[in-house]
Amino acid sequence: MRAARFILGAIGVGFGLWGLWLMRDFTGQQLVSTGVWLAGGILVHDAVLAPVTVGLGVLASRLLPGHFRAATSVAFLLWATLTVVFLPVLSGQGGKPDNDSILNRPYLASWLVLTGVLAGAAIIAGLRRRAHASGAAATAED
Amino acid sequence: MRLPTVEDIERRIPRPEDFQSRARGTQLTARVGVALGIAFGLCFLTGLWSHAQYDPPGWLPIGPQPTQLYRVTQGLHVLSGIAAIPLLLVKLWSVFPRLFIRPPTSSWRELAVEGLERASIGALVGSSVFMLASGLLNIAQWYPWDFSFRATHYAVAWIAIGSLIVHIAVKLPVIRRGLGAQIDHPEQHLDPDAVARRTVLVGAFASAGLAVLLTAGQTVPFLRRLSVFAVRDGQGPQDLPVNRTAKAAGAVEGATDPAFALEIVVGGRTVTLDRDQLLALPQRTHRLPIACVEGWSRNAVWTGVAVRDLIAMAGGDPASEVTVRSMQTRGAFRTSVLPSQFVEDHRTLLALELNGEPLSLDHGFPCRIIAPNRPGVLQTKWVRQLEVTS
Repeated sequence: MRAARFILGAIGVGFGLWGLWLMRDFTGQQLVSTGVWLAGGILVHDAVLAPVTVGLGVLASRLLPGHFRAATSVAFLLWATLTVVFLPVLSGQGGKPDNDSILNRPYLASWLVLTGVLAGAAIIAGLRRRAHASGAAATAED
Repeated sequence: MRLPTVEDIERRIPRPEDFQSRARGTQLTARVGVALGIAFGLCFLTGLWSHAQYDPPGWLPIGPQPTQLYRVTQGLHVLSGIAAIPLLLVKLWSVFPRLFIRPPTSSWRELAVEGLERASIGALVGSSVFMLASGLLNIAQWYPWDFSFRATHYAVAWIAIGSLIVHIAVKLPVIRRGLGAQIDHPEQHLDPDAVARRTVLVGAFASAGLAVLLTAGQTVPFLRRLSVFAVRDGQGPQDLPVNRTAKAAGAVEGATDPAFALEIVVGGRTVTLDRDQLLALPQRTHRLPIACVEGWSRNAVWTGVAVRDLIAMAGGDPASEVTVRSMQTRGAFRTSVLPSQFVEDHRTLLALELNGEPLSLDHGFPCRIIAPNRPGVLQTKWVRQLEVTS
């Protein structure tokens, strides 16, 4: 087991060094841009996306009634991750003005619908849970 | 009033135990991680395949069969990358508190080991985000960087997979423990309102699945209407999307020149044919896909002269390698090489018509190459010359 892990690790290090070797002919400008994007990804996640998510979680746990917590969490998970995936098409960047066979859909409208559907689903799921819980409590009291 | 000391600042930085969500845990991380690992593996292998299709190595003679192969592998490449984005975000969320573990102070050796592990995780996170972000922007033809996309996406892919393998090697016992344990704590029900780990897991898988469904229509025809976030909806001039217009490629002038004549160069001899002469030759019609590196693809019906017939007519061997030169004046891929196994195939056409109409300017008028199982960018448009090169 230990040996297998060691070999696996060595293979991984080899792959990584090969990746660096492939960059040997990059110009200084290309290397700087690659470095900015490599470090920028970590920074955007660790310093922006993750803290904001944690902060919203803390806020939600203080403000929202318990019944809504699970539904809101799942809706937020879906909304946030899908929004990240769709950021390029929502941005209005990309494509070329003389080519209307790319980026040719009403993405913003779709995203508003997605946002509305997820918010609506979270509210309905939360209300149903509350109704279910109070129903169960009423039954228990009888 | 005094300045804050290092200790004051340290006290304000959260500690792992400050994060309260019980939904985090090795059981969740390991399960999301397995799915993410599969997505990364698929993405890496199909990516390697794509590079092989662009520049076939000598030992791997990629041919025209199966016709739809590149369409499938590149569709999978882009979709596995898209599926990986929600999985990566949830995975990183599940381990975020670990970012705040204080470095060990007991010994230099422990500090060095911790430092190395942190470095490998930094490489993994940085390269993973890099791969997914650069790929996602590239499919929308948005290039906000100064590096060459193809070379850099390829090099960083090795770093991403390498650091992933190191990560698996380091974490193997933790992964096994996480997968072996029940996902939720048996006492989960004590707080009925708490978010269960299973809920987060199902949410992560649902998001990955939805991301795929809502974009896959650019390559899977029956999802076209559902995929409202796809970069392409499959439409375009003559029912086929365009990647680079004649204007963007600087091909308008050459392509619309009434004096256009195709050159076929065999040995020292050159045969020239204008478009009417090409149309007078025996025509073949085939249904073949355009399959782009950006992950979109669509079948179309092409009519034209088989390249092998043209080469034979000019006195060449129909099983030769042919270099195709375009009239485009801007951009890469002005020249492509058709290896002999493609030339031999009678479905490799110098197309003159698309879906029953003369080629439009943006699809490569007056004539273009279309061959089975080729990356779209090698399906050279606005062809001015075919030369037998071996």
